[in-house]
Amino acid sequence: MKTVKIGSGSASWGDMMEPGIDLIEQGDIQYLGLDHLAELTLSILQRWKAKDPKKGYIPDVIPFMKGLLPPARKHGTKILCNSGGANPEAAGEVVAQIAKEFGMEGLKIGIVLGDDLLPRLKEFKDQGVKFENMETGEEDIDRVADRIVAANAYIGAESIIEALEAGADVVITGRASDNALYVGPLMHEFGWKFEEPYWDKIGAAVTIGHIIECGACSSGSMSSQWRKVDDPGNVRNPMAEVDENAAAIISKIDGPGGLVNSGTVKEHLVYEVHDPYNYLMPDGIADFASAKLEDIAPNKVRVTEIKGKPRPEKLKVCMGYREGFIGEGQVWFPGPDAFEKAQWAEKWARRRLEIMNAQYDELRIDYMGVNILHGNTVPFPPPYAKDMYECGLRFVVRTKTYEEADRLKRIPTWLWTHGPVGSACGQPLPVRPVIGLWPTLIPRELVPTRMVIKEVK
Amino acid sequence: MKKKIMLKDLAYARSGDKGDIVNIGVMAFSPENYQLLKKKLTPEKIKEHFGSDVKGDVVIYKMPNLNSLEIVMNGALGGGATRTLALDQTGKAKGQSLLYMEIDAD
Repeated sequence: MKTVKIGSGSASWGDMMEPGIDLIEQGDIQYLGLDHLAELTLSILQRWKAKDPKKGYIPDVIPFMKGLLPPARKHGTKILCNSGGANPEAAGEVVAQIAKEFGMEGLKIGIVLGDDLLPRLKEFKDQGVKFENMETGEEDIDRVADRIVAANAYIGAESIIEALEAGADVVITGRASDNALYVGPLMHEFGWKFEEPYWDKIGAAVTIGHIIECGACSSGSMSSQWRKVDDPGNVRNPMAEVDENAAAIISKIDGPGGLVNSGTVKEHLVYEVHDPYNYLMPDGIADFASAKLEDIAPNKVRVTEIKGKPRPEKLKVCMGYREGFIGEGQVWFPGPDAFEKAQWAEKWARRRLEIMNAQYDELRIDYMGVNILHGNTVPFPPPYAKDMYECGLRFVVRTKTYEEADRLKRIPTWLWTHGPVGSACGQPLPVRPVIGLWPTLIPRELVPTRMVIKEVK
Repeated sequence: MKKKIMLKDLAYARSGDKGDIVNIGVMAFSPENYQLLKKKLTPEKIKEHFGSDVKGDVVIYKMPNLNSLEIVMNGALGGGATRTLALDQTGKAKGQSLLYMEIDAD
Protein backbone atom coordinates (compact mmCIF):
# COMPACT_ATOMS: atom_id res chain seq x y z
CA MET A 1 0.00 0.00 0.00
CA LYS A 2 1.27 3.46 -0.87
CA THR A 3 2.43 5.54 2.07
CA VAL A 4 3.59 9.13 2.35
CA LYS A 5 5.88 10.46 5.05
CA ILE A 6 5.53 14.04 6.24
CA GLY A 7 7.39 15.84 9.01
CA SER A 8 7.28 19.11 10.90
CA GLY A 9 10.22 21.51 10.88
CA SER A 10 8.93 24.48 12.85
CA ALA A 11 6.10 25.29 15.22
CA SER A 12 6.42 29.05 15.29
CA TRP A 13 8.52 32.04 14.36
CA GLY A 14 11.79 31.66 16.23
CA ASP A 15 11.68 27.88 16.49
CA MET A 16 14.92 25.95 15.97
CA MET A 17 16.01 24.59 12.62
CA GLU A 18 18.13 21.51 13.42
CA PRO A 19 15.24 19.09 14.15
CA GLY A 20 13.91 19.70 10.62
CA ILE A 21 17.33 19.04 9.08
CA ASP A 22 17.54 15.80 11.09
CA LEU A 23 14.12 14.72 9.80
CA ILE A 24 15.20 15.29 6.19
CA GLU A 25 18.53 13.52 6.64
CA GLN A 26 17.46 10.64 8.87
CA GLY A 27 13.68 10.47 8.72
CA ASP A 28 13.22 9.60 5.06
CA ILE A 29 10.40 12.18 4.80
CA GLN A 30 9.02 13.37 1.46
CA TYR A 31 7.55 16.61 2.80
CA LEU A 32 8.58 19.00 5.56
CA GLY A 33 6.13 21.65 6.82
CA LEU A 34 7.23 24.84 8.56
CA ASP A 35 4.72 26.90 10.53
CA HIS A 36 5.92 30.41 11.25
CA LEU A 37 2.70 32.31 11.98
CA ALA A 38 0.56 33.01 15.03
CA GLU A 39 -2.55 35.17 15.43
CA LEU A 40 -0.53 38.32 16.07
CA THR A 41 2.22 37.75 13.49
CA LEU A 42 0.50 39.19 10.44
CA SER A 43 -0.04 42.51 12.23
CA ILE A 44 3.70 42.78 12.85
CA LEU A 45 4.59 41.74 9.30
CA GLN A 46 2.10 44.14 7.69
CA ARG A 47 3.75 47.02 9.55
CA TRP A 48 7.13 45.95 8.19
CA LYS A 49 5.72 45.70 4.67
CA ALA A 50 4.19 49.19 4.97
CA LYS A 51 7.68 50.54 5.73
CA ASP A 52 9.42 48.50 3.02
CA PRO A 53 7.45 46.75 0.25
CA LYS A 54 10.22 44.16 -0.07
CA LYS A 55 9.71 43.05 3.56
CA GLY A 56 6.75 41.59 5.41
CA TYR A 57 7.77 37.92 5.38
CA ILE A 58 9.27 35.97 8.28
CA PRO A 59 13.00 36.80 8.26
CA ASP A 60 13.76 33.32 9.64
CA VAL A 61 12.94 31.99 6.19
CA ILE A 62 16.48 33.02 5.16
CA PRO A 63 18.47 30.94 7.68
CA PHE A 64 15.92 28.12 7.42
CA MET A 65 16.20 27.85 3.65
CA LYS A 66 19.98 28.15 3.81
CA GLY A 67 19.99 25.24 6.24
CA LEU A 68 17.20 23.12 4.76
CA LEU A 69 17.51 23.49 1.00
CA PRO A 70 20.79 21.59 0.55
CA PRO A 71 19.67 18.44 2.44
CA ALA A 72 16.16 18.73 0.96
CA ARG A 73 17.58 18.86 -2.56
CA LYS A 74 19.81 15.87 -1.83
CA HIS A 75 17.01 13.72 -0.39
CA GLY A 76 14.22 14.93 -2.68
CA THR A 77 12.24 16.42 0.22
CA LYS A 78 9.73 19.13 -0.58
CA ILE A 79 9.36 22.04 1.83
CA LEU A 80 6.09 23.83 2.58
CA CYS A 81 6.00 26.96 4.71
CA ASN A 82 3.72 29.86 5.58
CA SER A 83 6.76 32.07 6.15
CA GLY A 84 5.57 34.36 3.34
CA GLY A 85 3.45 36.10 5.98
CA ALA A 86 2.25 39.43 4.62
CA ASN A 87 4.44 39.17 1.53
CA PRO A 88 4.75 35.67 0.02
CA GLU A 89 6.03 37.08 -3.28
CA ALA A 90 8.95 38.84 -1.60
CA ALA A 91 9.71 35.66 0.36
CA GLY A 92 9.67 33.74 -2.93
CA GLU A 93 12.21 36.19 -4.38
CA VAL A 94 14.51 35.77 -1.41
CA VAL A 95 14.27 31.97 -1.46
CA ALA A 96 14.91 31.94 -5.21
CA GLN A 97 18.02 34.03 -4.63
CA ILE A 98 19.27 31.62 -1.96
CA ALA A 99 18.61 28.64 -4.26
CA LYS A 100 20.45 30.40 -7.05
CA GLU A 101 23.46 30.96 -4.81
CA PHE A 102 23.43 27.22 -4.08
CA GLY A 103 23.38 26.56 -7.83
CA MET A 104 19.97 24.88 -7.70
CA GLU A 105 18.90 25.66 -11.26
CA GLY A 106 15.46 24.33 -12.08
CA LEU A 107 14.22 24.44 -8.48
CA LYS A 108 10.55 25.38 -8.54
CA ILE A 109 9.02 27.63 -5.91
CA GLY A 110 5.23 27.72 -5.65
CA ILE A 111 3.90 30.96 -4.19
CA VAL A 112 0.35 30.93 -2.85
CA LEU A 113 -1.63 34.19 -2.84
CA GLY A 114 -5.09 35.40 -1.97
CA ASP A 115 -5.26 35.33 1.84
CA ASP A 116 -4.47 39.02 2.33
CA LEU A 117 -7.81 40.85 2.58
CA LEU A 118 -6.42 44.19 3.79
CA PRO A 119 -6.43 45.75 0.28
CA ARG A 120 -9.99 44.46 -0.26
CA LEU A 121 -11.76 45.76 2.86
CA LYS A 122 -13.24 48.75 1.05
CA GLU A 123 -14.50 46.50 -1.73
CA PHE A 124 -16.19 44.27 0.88
CA LYS A 125 -17.77 47.29 2.60
CA ASP A 126 -19.13 48.52 -0.74
CA GLN A 127 -20.61 45.07 -1.33
CA GLY A 128 -22.25 45.15 2.10
CA VAL A 129 -20.18 42.28 3.50
CA LYS A 130 -20.29 42.41 7.30
CA PHE A 131 -17.62 41.05 9.61
CA GLU A 132 -19.31 40.06 12.85
CA ASN A 133 -16.88 39.55 15.72
CA MET A 134 -17.03 35.84 16.59
CA GLU A 135 -16.12 36.49 20.21
CA THR A 136 -18.07 39.59 21.15
CA GLY A 137 -20.95 39.36 18.68
CA GLU A 138 -20.36 42.95 17.54
CA GLU A 139 -21.99 43.23 14.11
CA ASP A 140 -19.32 44.87 12.00
CA ILE A 141 -15.85 46.39 12.09
CA ASP A 142 -16.97 50.07 11.93
CA ARG A 143 -15.67 50.88 15.43
CA VAL A 144 -12.12 49.76 14.58
CA ALA A 145 -12.12 50.13 10.79
CA ASP A 146 -9.66 53.04 10.70
CA ARG A 147 -7.23 51.18 12.98
CA ILE A 148 -7.03 47.83 11.17
CA VAL A 149 -3.46 46.84 10.33
CA ALA A 150 -3.97 43.28 9.09
CA ALA A 151 -6.83 41.17 7.74
CA ASN A 152 -6.03 37.67 6.58
CA ALA A 153 -8.21 34.71 5.75
CA TYR A 154 -7.01 31.31 6.96
CA ILE A 155 -6.86 29.64 3.58
CA GLY A 156 -6.76 25.93 2.94
CA ALA A 157 -4.72 23.57 0.80
CA GLU A 158 -6.26 24.11 -2.65
CA SER A 159 -3.52 26.28 -4.11
CA ILE A 160 -0.84 24.32 -2.23
CA ILE A 161 -2.07 21.21 -4.07
CA GLU A 162 -1.99 23.12 -7.38
CA ALA A 163 1.60 24.15 -6.69
CA LEU A 164 2.61 20.56 -5.93
CA GLU A 165 0.84 19.38 -9.09
CA ALA A 166 2.88 21.94 -11.01
CA GLY A 167 6.04 20.35 -9.61
CA ALA A 168 6.91 22.83 -6.87
CA ASP A 169 9.88 21.81 -4.70
CA VAL A 170 9.17 24.59 -2.22
CA VAL A 171 5.75 26.07 -1.46
CA ILE A 172 5.52 29.44 0.25
CA THR A 173 2.20 30.77 1.52
CA GLY A 174 0.92 33.67 3.55
CA ARG A 175 -1.79 32.95 6.09
CA ALA A 176 -2.49 29.39 5.04
CA SER A 177 -3.65 27.47 8.08
CA ASP A 178 -0.71 25.61 9.64
CA ASN A 179 -2.78 22.54 9.01
CA ALA A 180 -3.01 23.03 5.24
CA LEU A 181 0.77 22.64 4.97
CA TYR A 182 0.24 18.98 5.89
CA VAL A 183 -3.20 18.32 4.38
CA GLY A 184 -1.96 19.63 1.01
CA PRO A 185 0.77 17.05 0.37
CA LEU A 186 -1.45 14.16 1.55
CA MET A 187 -4.34 15.18 -0.74
CA HIS A 188 -1.91 15.70 -3.61
CA GLU A 189 -0.21 12.32 -3.18
CA PHE A 190 -3.38 10.29 -2.69
CA GLY A 191 -5.58 12.21 -5.11
CA TRP A 192 -8.19 13.03 -2.47
CA LYS A 193 -10.72 15.66 -3.56
CA PHE A 194 -12.88 18.11 -1.63
CA GLU A 195 -15.98 15.94 -2.10
CA GLU A 196 -17.56 12.63 -1.11
CA PRO A 197 -16.25 10.01 -0.37
CA TYR A 198 -13.08 11.74 0.85
CA TRP A 199 -14.29 13.69 3.89
CA ASP A 200 -13.25 11.02 6.41
CA LYS A 201 -9.80 10.87 4.82
CA ILE A 202 -9.50 14.66 4.82
CA GLY A 203 -10.71 14.64 8.45
CA ALA A 204 -7.87 12.22 9.17
CA ALA A 205 -5.40 14.43 7.30
CA VAL A 206 -6.57 17.43 9.34
CA THR A 207 -6.07 15.41 12.52
CA ILE A 208 -2.62 14.14 11.51
CA GLY A 209 -1.68 17.68 10.52
CA HIS A 210 -2.85 18.93 13.91
CA ILE A 211 -0.77 16.27 15.70
CA ILE A 212 2.50 17.25 14.02
CA GLU A 213 2.02 20.92 13.09
CA CYS A 214 3.35 22.27 16.39
CA GLY A 215 6.65 20.50 15.91
CA ALA A 216 8.07 18.82 18.97
CA CYS A 217 4.97 19.60 21.04
CA SER A 218 3.74 16.10 20.18
CA SER A 219 7.16 14.49 20.50
CA GLY A 220 8.28 15.33 24.00
CA SER A 221 8.36 19.12 24.22
CA MET A 222 5.88 20.90 26.52
CA SER A 223 4.98 17.45 27.80
CA SER A 224 3.50 16.29 31.09
CA GLN A 225 5.88 13.36 30.63
CA TRP A 226 8.94 15.65 30.62
CA ARG A 227 10.72 13.42 33.12
CA LYS A 228 10.70 10.57 30.59
CA VAL A 229 12.35 12.62 27.84
CA ASP A 230 15.95 11.45 27.73
CA ASP A 231 18.71 13.76 26.46
CA PRO A 232 16.92 17.08 27.17
CA GLY A 233 17.91 19.77 24.69
CA ASN A 234 18.31 17.25 21.87
CA VAL A 235 14.89 18.09 20.43
CA ARG A 236 13.27 15.66 18.00
CA ASN A 237 10.35 16.68 15.82
CA PRO A 238 7.49 14.38 14.87
CA MET A 239 6.79 12.76 11.52
CA ALA A 240 3.79 10.85 10.23
CA GLU A 241 3.74 7.97 7.79
CA VAL A 242 0.27 7.99 6.26
CA ASP A 243 -1.28 5.29 4.08
CA GLU A 244 -3.96 5.63 1.42
CA ASN A 245 -6.65 4.68 3.95
CA ALA A 246 -5.54 7.69 6.01
CA ALA A 247 -4.15 5.59 8.84
CA ALA A 248 -0.99 7.10 10.25
CA ILE A 249 2.03 6.13 12.29
CA ILE A 250 3.44 9.04 14.29
CA SER A 251 7.11 8.70 15.17
CA LYS A 252 10.45 10.48 15.51
CA ILE A 253 13.90 9.58 14.24
CA ASP A 254 15.69 6.81 16.13
CA GLY A 255 18.16 7.52 18.87
CA PRO A 256 18.16 9.70 21.98
CA GLY A 257 16.05 12.83 22.46
CA GLY A 258 12.34 13.43 22.18
CA LEU A 259 9.50 11.08 23.08
CA VAL A 260 6.54 9.77 21.11
CA ASN A 261 3.84 7.66 22.74
CA SER A 262 0.06 7.67 22.91
CA GLY A 263 0.37 10.14 25.79
CA THR A 264 2.37 12.72 23.86
CA VAL A 265 0.06 12.36 20.86
CA LYS A 266 -2.97 12.65 23.13
CA GLU A 267 -1.70 15.81 24.77
CA HIS A 268 -1.47 17.41 21.38
CA LEU A 269 -4.88 16.16 20.28
CA VAL A 270 -6.43 18.08 23.17
CA TYR A 271 -4.24 21.16 22.63
CA GLU A 272 -5.78 24.42 21.39
CA VAL A 273 -9.01 22.66 20.47
CA HIS A 274 -12.49 23.83 21.32
CA ASP A 275 -15.21 21.39 20.25
CA PRO A 276 -13.14 18.23 19.62
CA TYR A 277 -16.06 16.64 17.73
CA ASN A 278 -15.88 19.45 15.18
CA TYR A 279 -12.32 20.66 14.73
CA LEU A 280 -12.84 23.26 12.01
CA MET A 281 -10.14 23.77 9.44
CA PRO A 282 -10.46 25.33 5.99
CA ASP A 283 -10.01 21.92 4.34
CA GLY A 284 -12.38 19.84 6.44
CA ILE A 285 -13.88 19.17 9.85
CA ALA A 286 -12.24 16.50 11.97
CA ASP A 287 -13.72 14.51 14.82
CA PHE A 288 -10.88 14.06 17.29
CA ALA A 289 -13.17 12.05 19.56
CA SER A 290 -13.21 9.29 16.93
CA ALA A 291 -9.43 8.83 16.81
CA LYS A 292 -7.99 5.55 18.03
CA LEU A 293 -4.40 5.66 19.35
CA GLU A 294 -2.23 2.56 19.77
CA ASP A 295 1.35 2.26 20.97
CA ILE A 296 2.74 -0.22 18.43
CA ALA A 297 6.47 0.08 19.23
CA PRO A 298 8.73 2.41 21.22
CA ASN A 299 8.22 5.93 19.85
CA LYS A 300 5.61 4.75 17.33
CA VAL A 301 1.89 5.45 17.67
CA ARG A 302 -0.74 4.29 15.19
CA VAL A 303 -3.66 6.69 14.68
CA THR A 304 -6.77 5.30 12.95
CA GLU A 305 -10.57 5.43 12.61
CA ILE A 306 -10.82 9.19 12.30
CA LYS A 307 -14.08 10.62 11.01
CA GLY A 308 -14.51 13.83 9.07
CA LYS A 309 -17.17 16.12 7.66
CA PRO A 310 -17.29 18.46 4.65
CA ARG A 311 -15.22 21.62 4.90
CA PRO A 312 -16.96 24.72 6.31
CA GLU A 313 -18.70 27.13 3.93
CA LYS A 314 -16.97 30.06 5.58
CA LEU A 315 -13.32 30.79 6.24
CA LYS A 316 -11.99 32.29 9.42
CA VAL A 317 -10.51 35.75 9.09
CA CYS A 318 -8.24 37.30 11.67
CA MET A 319 -8.05 41.07 11.68
CA GLY A 320 -5.65 42.97 13.85
CA TYR A 321 -6.22 46.57 14.90
CA ARG A 322 -4.23 49.11 16.89
CA GLU A 323 -5.45 49.21 20.46
CA GLY A 324 -3.07 51.32 22.50
CA PHE A 325 0.20 50.51 24.21
CA ILE A 326 1.62 48.46 27.05
CA GLY A 327 4.26 49.74 29.44
CA GLU A 328 5.86 47.18 31.67
CA GLY A 329 8.64 46.82 34.21
CA GLN A 330 9.81 44.78 37.15
CA VAL A 331 11.79 45.01 40.33
CA TRP A 332 13.13 42.27 42.61
CA PHE A 333 13.65 42.31 46.36
CA PRO A 334 15.95 40.10 48.42
CA GLY A 335 15.11 38.82 51.88
CA PRO A 336 15.08 39.37 54.79
CA ASP A 337 11.40 40.25 54.42
CA ALA A 338 11.35 39.97 50.61
CA PHE A 339 7.57 39.61 50.32
CA GLU A 340 6.88 42.45 52.74
CA LYS A 341 9.27 44.67 50.77
CA ALA A 342 7.40 43.86 47.57
CA GLN A 343 4.10 44.77 49.25
CA TRP A 344 5.53 48.10 50.36
CA ALA A 345 6.72 48.68 46.78
CA GLU A 346 3.23 48.01 45.46
CA LYS A 347 1.87 50.64 47.80
CA TRP A 348 4.59 53.04 46.54
CA ALA A 349 3.66 52.34 42.90
CA ARG A 350 -0.05 52.93 43.46
CA ARG A 351 0.58 56.17 45.30
CA ARG A 352 2.88 57.30 42.49
CA LEU A 353 0.13 56.61 39.94
CA GLU A 354 -2.12 59.00 41.90
CA ILE A 355 0.52 61.69 42.17
CA MET A 356 1.23 61.45 38.43
CA ASN A 357 -2.48 61.63 37.58
CA ALA A 358 -1.88 58.51 35.49
CA GLN A 359 -4.22 57.80 32.58
CA TYR A 360 -4.52 54.09 31.89
CA ASP A 361 -7.16 51.58 30.80
CA GLU A 362 -5.84 48.64 32.77
CA LEU A 363 -3.26 48.02 35.48
CA ARG A 364 -1.83 44.73 36.68
CA ILE A 365 0.61 44.12 39.50
CA ASP A 366 1.92 40.58 39.99
CA TYR A 367 4.16 39.09 42.65
CA MET A 368 6.81 37.03 40.93
CA GLY A 369 7.31 33.71 42.61
CA VAL A 370 3.79 33.95 44.09
CA ASN A 371 0.95 34.56 41.66
CA ILE A 372 2.36 35.62 38.31
CA LEU A 373 1.28 32.35 36.68
CA HIS A 374 -1.43 30.96 38.95
CA GLY A 375 -3.31 34.24 39.35
CA ASN A 376 -6.35 34.07 41.60
CA THR A 377 -6.15 30.30 42.08
CA VAL A 378 -3.47 30.57 44.77
CA PRO A 379 -3.79 32.12 48.24
CA PHE A 380 -2.57 35.67 48.64
CA PRO A 381 -0.59 36.54 50.67
CA PRO A 382 0.99 33.10 50.37
CA PRO A 383 1.30 30.99 53.53
CA TYR A 384 5.10 30.91 52.98
CA ALA A 385 5.37 34.72 52.68
CA LYS A 386 7.69 35.13 55.67
CA ASP A 387 10.06 32.42 54.39
CA MET A 388 10.63 33.89 50.93
CA TYR A 389 14.29 34.55 50.22
CA GLU A 390 13.38 36.75 47.26
CA CYS A 391 10.29 38.18 45.64
CA GLY A 392 9.69 40.23 42.53
CA LEU A 393 7.04 42.75 41.56
CA ARG A 394 5.82 43.03 37.98
CA PHE A 395 3.99 46.19 36.97
CA VAL A 396 2.08 46.49 33.68
CA VAL A 397 -0.27 49.16 32.32
CA ARG A 398 -2.25 49.47 29.12
CA THR A 399 -2.70 53.02 27.88
CA LYS A 400 -4.18 54.82 24.90
CA THR A 401 -0.98 56.63 23.96
CA TYR A 402 2.67 55.70 23.59
CA GLU A 403 3.71 58.69 25.67
CA GLU A 404 1.61 57.68 28.68
CA ALA A 405 2.89 54.08 28.55
CA ASP A 406 6.45 55.41 28.38
CA ARG A 407 5.81 57.70 31.37
CA LEU A 408 4.18 55.05 33.57
CA LYS A 409 6.58 52.22 32.86
CA ARG A 410 9.19 54.26 34.72
CA ILE A 411 7.39 53.58 38.01
CA PRO A 412 8.91 50.09 38.49
CA THR A 413 12.31 51.40 37.37
CA TRP A 414 12.13 54.20 39.95
CA LEU A 415 11.62 51.47 42.51
CA TRP A 416 15.08 50.18 41.64
CA THR A 417 16.43 53.06 43.70
CA HIS A 418 13.42 54.36 45.64
CA GLY A 419 12.06 51.04 46.95
CA PRO A 420 13.06 49.18 50.10
CA VAL A 421 16.73 48.35 50.53
CA GLY A 422 18.50 45.82 48.32
CA SER A 423 16.36 45.98 45.20
CA ALA A 424 17.72 44.47 42.02
CA CYS A 425 16.72 45.23 38.51
CA GLY A 426 17.37 44.09 35.01
CA GLN A 427 16.94 46.13 31.88
CA PRO A 428 14.07 48.52 31.23
CA LEU A 429 11.59 47.02 28.75
CA PRO A 430 10.49 48.98 25.66
CA VAL A 431 6.87 50.15 25.32
CA ARG A 432 5.02 47.78 23.00
CA PRO A 433 2.00 48.44 20.80
CA VAL A 434 -1.16 46.45 21.51
CA ILE A 435 -2.92 44.76 18.65
CA GLY A 436 -6.54 43.87 19.26
CA LEU A 437 -7.80 40.87 17.31
CA TRP A 438 -11.11 40.73 15.51
CA PRO A 439 -11.90 37.12 14.65
CA THR A 440 -14.60 36.84 12.01
CA LEU A 441 -15.84 34.72 9.09
CA ILE A 442 -16.10 35.27 5.36
CA PRO A 443 -17.87 33.21 2.67
CA ARG A 444 -15.29 30.96 1.03
CA GLU A 445 -16.21 32.09 -2.49
CA LEU A 446 -15.10 35.65 -1.68
CA VAL A 447 -11.54 34.47 -1.09
CA PRO A 448 -10.21 32.88 -4.27
CA THR A 449 -6.60 31.77 -3.96
CA ARG A 450 -4.04 31.25 -6.68
CA MET A 451 -0.47 30.16 -7.05
CA VAL A 452 2.43 31.16 -9.22
CA ILE A 453 5.51 29.10 -9.95
CA LYS A 454 8.91 30.73 -9.86
CA GLU A 455 11.68 28.65 -11.38
CA VAL A 456 15.30 29.22 -10.42
CA LYS A 457 17.28 29.99 -13.56
CA MET B 1 -15.46 14.41 56.29
CA LYS B 2 -15.30 13.37 52.65
CA LYS B 3 -11.96 12.29 51.26
CA LYS B 4 -10.52 14.86 48.88
CA ILE B 5 -8.17 14.22 45.99
CA MET B 6 -6.16 16.63 43.91
CA LEU B 7 -6.52 16.62 40.12
CA LYS B 8 -2.78 16.24 39.68
CA ASP B 9 -3.09 12.77 41.16
CA LEU B 10 -5.72 11.79 38.60
CA ALA B 11 -4.73 13.39 35.29
CA TYR B 12 -2.34 15.37 33.17
CA ALA B 13 -3.36 18.71 31.70
CA ARG B 14 -2.23 20.90 28.82
CA SER B 15 -3.72 24.27 27.99
CA GLY B 16 -3.56 26.82 25.19
CA ASP B 17 -5.36 29.79 23.68
CA LYS B 18 -7.38 31.13 20.78
CA GLY B 19 -8.37 34.75 21.12
CA ASP B 20 -9.76 35.34 24.61
CA ILE B 21 -10.49 31.63 25.09
CA VAL B 22 -8.31 29.26 27.08
CA ASN B 23 -8.85 25.55 26.62
CA ILE B 24 -7.57 22.89 28.98
CA GLY B 25 -7.26 19.27 27.92
CA VAL B 26 -7.51 17.11 31.04
CA MET B 27 -6.16 13.60 30.36
CA ALA B 28 -7.07 11.03 32.99
CA PHE B 29 -4.45 8.43 33.93
CA SER B 30 -7.06 5.61 33.75
CA PRO B 31 -10.65 4.93 32.62
CA GLU B 32 -11.66 4.92 36.32
CA ASN B 33 -10.16 8.37 36.82
CA TYR B 34 -11.93 9.54 33.68
CA GLN B 35 -15.29 8.38 35.06
CA LEU B 36 -14.63 10.26 38.30
CA LEU B 37 -13.50 13.44 36.53
CA LYS B 38 -16.44 13.30 34.14
CA LYS B 39 -18.75 13.31 37.13
CA LYS B 40 -16.96 15.83 39.32
CA LEU B 41 -15.60 18.43 36.94
CA THR B 42 -18.45 20.77 36.17
CA PRO B 43 -18.42 24.24 34.60
CA GLU B 44 -19.47 25.63 37.99
CA LYS B 45 -16.51 23.99 39.77
CA ILE B 46 -14.11 25.27 37.13
CA LYS B 47 -15.44 28.83 37.37
CA GLU B 48 -15.22 28.69 41.14
CA HIS B 49 -11.57 27.53 40.94
CA PHE B 50 -10.44 30.34 38.63
CA GLY B 51 -12.59 33.07 40.16
CA SER B 52 -12.40 36.41 38.36
CA ASP B 53 -9.61 35.12 36.07
CA VAL B 54 -12.33 33.42 33.97
CA LYS B 55 -15.03 35.91 33.08
CA GLY B 56 -17.14 33.98 30.58
CA ASP B 57 -18.91 30.66 30.24
CA VAL B 58 -17.17 27.32 30.64
CA VAL B 59 -18.05 24.41 28.36
CA ILE B 60 -16.81 20.85 28.89
CA TYR B 61 -16.56 18.28 26.06
CA LYS B 62 -16.10 14.59 26.80
CA MET B 63 -13.58 12.53 24.83
CA PRO B 64 -14.00 8.92 25.99
CA ASN B 65 -11.61 7.68 23.28
CA LEU B 66 -8.76 9.52 25.01
CA ASN B 67 -10.11 9.31 28.60
CA SER B 68 -9.99 13.08 28.40
CA LEU B 69 -12.09 16.18 28.92
CA GLU B 70 -11.76 19.34 26.88
CA ILE B 71 -12.54 22.36 29.04
CA VAL B 72 -13.21 25.54 27.10
CA MET B 73 -13.13 28.75 29.15
CA ASN B 74 -14.38 31.95 27.55
CA GLY B 75 -13.12 35.35 28.62
CA ALA B 76 -10.14 33.71 30.28
CA LEU B 77 -7.18 35.59 28.84
CA GLY B 78 -7.64 39.26 29.68
CA GLY B 79 -8.82 40.03 26.15
CA GLY B 80 -6.50 37.59 24.37
CA ALA B 81 -2.79 36.93 23.99
CA THR B 82 -2.11 40.18 22.16
CA ARG B 83 -3.68 42.50 24.70
CA THR B 84 -3.54 40.75 28.05
CA LEU B 85 -1.37 42.22 30.77
CA ALA B 86 -0.68 38.76 32.16
CA LEU B 87 2.79 37.30 31.71
CA ASP B 88 1.19 34.01 30.68
CA GLN B 89 -0.04 35.46 27.43
CA THR B 90 -1.19 32.18 25.94
CA GLY B 91 -2.77 30.52 28.95
CA LYS B 92 -0.19 27.74 29.09
CA ALA B 93 -0.11 27.80 32.90
CA LYS B 94 -3.89 27.59 33.34
CA GLY B 95 -3.93 23.82 32.88
CA GLN B 96 -1.36 23.44 35.63
CA SER B 97 -3.39 25.75 37.89
CA LEU B 98 -6.34 23.42 37.43
CA LEU B 99 -4.28 20.43 38.61
CA TYR B 100 -4.33 21.93 42.11
CA MET B 101 -8.12 21.64 42.25
CA GLU B 102 -9.48 19.27 44.85
CA ILE B 103 -12.51 17.09 44.26
CA ASP B 104 -14.40 14.55 46.37
CA ALA B 105 -12.77 11.16 45.87
CA ASP B 106 -16.04 9.18 45.71
